[in-house]
Amino acid sequence: MLQDIRANAQGTVAKVIIGLIVISFSIFGIESLLFSGGSNGVAEVNGEEISPFALQQELSVQQRRLLSILGEDADPALLDQAQMSQQALETLIQREIIKQAAKDMGLNTSDQAIADIVGSMEQFQIDGQFSPDLFQGALASAGFTPALFRERLAEDVEIGQLRAGVAGSDFSTEAELDLAASIALEGRDVRYISLPLLDFIASVELSDEAVETFYQQNPERFQSEESVILEYLELGIDAYRKDVDEERLREEFELVRDEFELSAEARVSHILIEGSDADRAERIAAAQKALSEGMSFADAAAEFSDDIGSAQDGGDLGYTAGDTFPEAMEEAIAALGVGEQSAAVETEAGTHLLLVTDRREGSSVSFEDVAAELEDRIQSRDAAADLLVDVERLRDIAFNAADLNAPAEALELEVQTSEPVSRNQQEGLFARPALRQAAFSEDVFEAGHNSEVIELNPEQFVLLRVAERRPAALKPLEDVRAAIEVELREQLAKEAAAAQAMELMAALSQGSTVEEAANAAGLQWQVELGARRNSRSLPGVVRERLFAMPAPEDGSPTREIVDEDPDATYLVELARVSSGNPADMPVQERELLRQRIAGETGGILQQQFETGLRERAEVIVY
Amino acid sequence: MESYRSEEEQVEALKRWWKENGRSTLIGIALALGLGFGWQAWQKTQQLAAENASNLYQQMLQVLSTQDEQAGTVGRQLATQLKEQHRGTVYAQFAAMHLARLAVNDGQLQAAEQELRWTLSMASGNDDIQQVAQLRLARVLASLEKPDEALDLLQGANPDYQASYAIARGDIFLSQGLEAEAFAAYESALATMEEGAPVPQTLQDKLEFLGARLQSAVLEAS
Repeated sequence: MLQDIRANAQGTVAKVIIGLIVISFSIFGIESLLFSGGSNGVAEVNGEEISPFALQQELSVQQRRLLSILGEDADPALLDQAQMSQQALETLIQREIIKQAAKDMGLNTSDQAIADIVGSMEQFQIDGQFSPDLFQGALASAGFTPALFRERLAEDVEIGQLRAGVAGSDFSTEAELDLAASIALEGRDVRYISLPLLDFIASVELSDEAVETFYQQNPERFQSEESVILEYLELGIDAYRKDVDEERLREEFELVRDEFELSAEARVSHILIEGSDADRAERIAAAQKALSEGMSFADAAAEFSDDIGSAQDGGDLGYTAGDTFPEAMEEAIAALGVGEQSAAVETEAGTHLLLVTDRREGSSVSFEDVAAELEDRIQSRDAAADLLVDVERLRDIAFNAADLNAPAEALELEVQTSEPVSRNQQEGLFARPALRQAAFSEDVFEAGHNSEVIELNPEQFVLLRVAERRPAALKPLEDVRAAIEVELREQLAKEAAAAQAMELMAALSQGSTVEEAANAAGLQWQVELGARRNSRSLPGVVRERLFAMPAPEDGSPTREIVDEDPDATYLVELARVSSGNPADMPVQERELLRQRIAGETGGILQQQFETGLRERAEVIVY
Repeated sequence: MESYRSEEEQVEALKRWWKENGRSTLIGIALALGLGFGWQAWQKTQQLAAENASNLYQQMLQVLSTQDEQAGTVGRQLATQLKEQHRGTVYAQFAAMHLARLAVNDGQLQAAEQELRWTLSMASGNDDIQQVAQLRLARVLASLEKPDEALDLLQGANPDYQASYAIARGDIFLSQGLEAEAFAAYESALATMEEGAPVPQTLQDKLEFLGARLQSAVLEAS
């Protein structure tokens, strides 16, 4: 049979078929035939995957943001991985949805536009010049490849274009401005009397009986939380650090010396001429002539160089430490000072003219300079390895042990005992969600087994079991008496204040003025004429109620008692409402209002747009 | 496949086949190649055109974001260029909406109306842009003292944009002095907004303002 195939493969028909295959490959490329592997994303949005890598990236961005807000010693509970990762995923999904919408609308970015943006980003510049090395380095440390970074940047640009198109093109008409201005300029004449709670608390009389009654009538409010006393073993890396002898340090130093030392480097530009010998000689001569007549090296590179990669960058090849280029080139470079040009240099690539544009000094480092750092490195490395060995041992022993004594003995650890830990513990070691979850898991809490060995981070491990369960119970009266007293006092004081406010109200309706009533009662009163909606001088609750009050009829003021503020009760009198006239608004303020309305109307449009997209999107979270 | 007794016969058969089908085979291959390369070339031009539109739009946004005195003029030129040279693209529609915004800011409501009508005529393929442009057209018409036409347009909200449309209705009612109708419209806007979404300050102020006014009216009536 093979013979047949071979014979047929020689035939014209077979050649035609193979020819067709070759053509189709050359047009469509081999990628079209290779299908990608199975799904391993964390979520899918309309069939587009979100990769675990993207999630990790987003998570670390959010964590950094949170840390920068909260400071370094932030509560670890706030950095709950599971919850943050949920948020990060939500952000990514929303971003993916908008990105797809932008693509569907045909929004796009050219490679050139992205290159321009990258080139203008200050974080990739040295002395105002884009540095490819810095770019690559900065990306690598953030875990990006240049291609991925450019893709993300392009997405950002497109999302920005979409938002600028939908939300950014909104406006405010004069009619809408007039409406908003007349509402903003409405003025209300207000007088109010303050009855601070503190004044009344002092005179409140509270009987023990009242406290007891309250305690008995509200048992559900005085329950202690269910809690557990835990026994636990803690393995930390610090216990495994050992001194390192000098011999080893010196060995390490020789191994990693390169990391600390900078070799001397030169930055080189070149003009490369390729082609046959005669051709090269002729064109080299032309280039040299142009240079000698004063043409700059960069212009000459653009005009003469056959190295497409560098010709447009003034011929720049970046830095070399003496081992980057062929030997002939490096020898010539070594002989040049900054700003000096070489004669023609031959390499396999062709003929070069070289220019050294910069030289960087090397630096060396002594053993003593870095001994401490090296010691720390070796210690950490060794300790981490030893720790892991012990963690594995602990896992084996703990699994079969009834309590922590045997594991503790085997690893020469001490069993520690915790304070009571509740299900939503906020302080101490056991505020860590992983530990709380373990402590209240069925296996540990109900069955009384040892927990697994829990990794808090690669340097800290905990094994725990429940020593004692403390169910929820009514706290004794003595523990809660103080709290009840405070609460009841405030309540009584509030009632007393309300009663006095009613008396004042009665006095006012009998014709006395706010000033007279307040003075008679020895209370503070305030007045603000023509108060605006955005007034900052009125207490919040007063301002809110004032602008909800009906306008006074026939010159008789409207009065209300405001008791929403826990610290004070107010008696508010609204004497007059003057409607706002848009013409009274200063030009600048009107301009700000215009921008605010345009921003707000555009903002809700954008929000509704995105909500609609989200509702229609097919989102699968794995 | 038939089997041939000798090499000559085989060659003979092939020659015969080629005579009968050679021309059509060649034409077929040429056609396929032509189509393939043509498709690629067409895609390339499409992509270039799209990139051009993107660059122009980006330039326009950039110019309009500056405080420069010439910003408006240059921005308008770029937007007009986008509309003319990239007619069918979303970029052109965005550009027209920015032109409408600039026109409203300058008090040229008729010009704004034209831009928004143009956007509407081009946006048939995109519900979102259609909804946004229609809403803005209604607001401009209301400002042109054509409240009935505006209210007609505002009937056309799809479920996504109920809140914005209701606010616009409320604004028209309020400027006509129909306070109860305005209040109802604003309340329905609030009700359709996504839970937890920030409520715009101006909407809060209008609700507060009308709430107090309507309460006075009730008191007066009783």
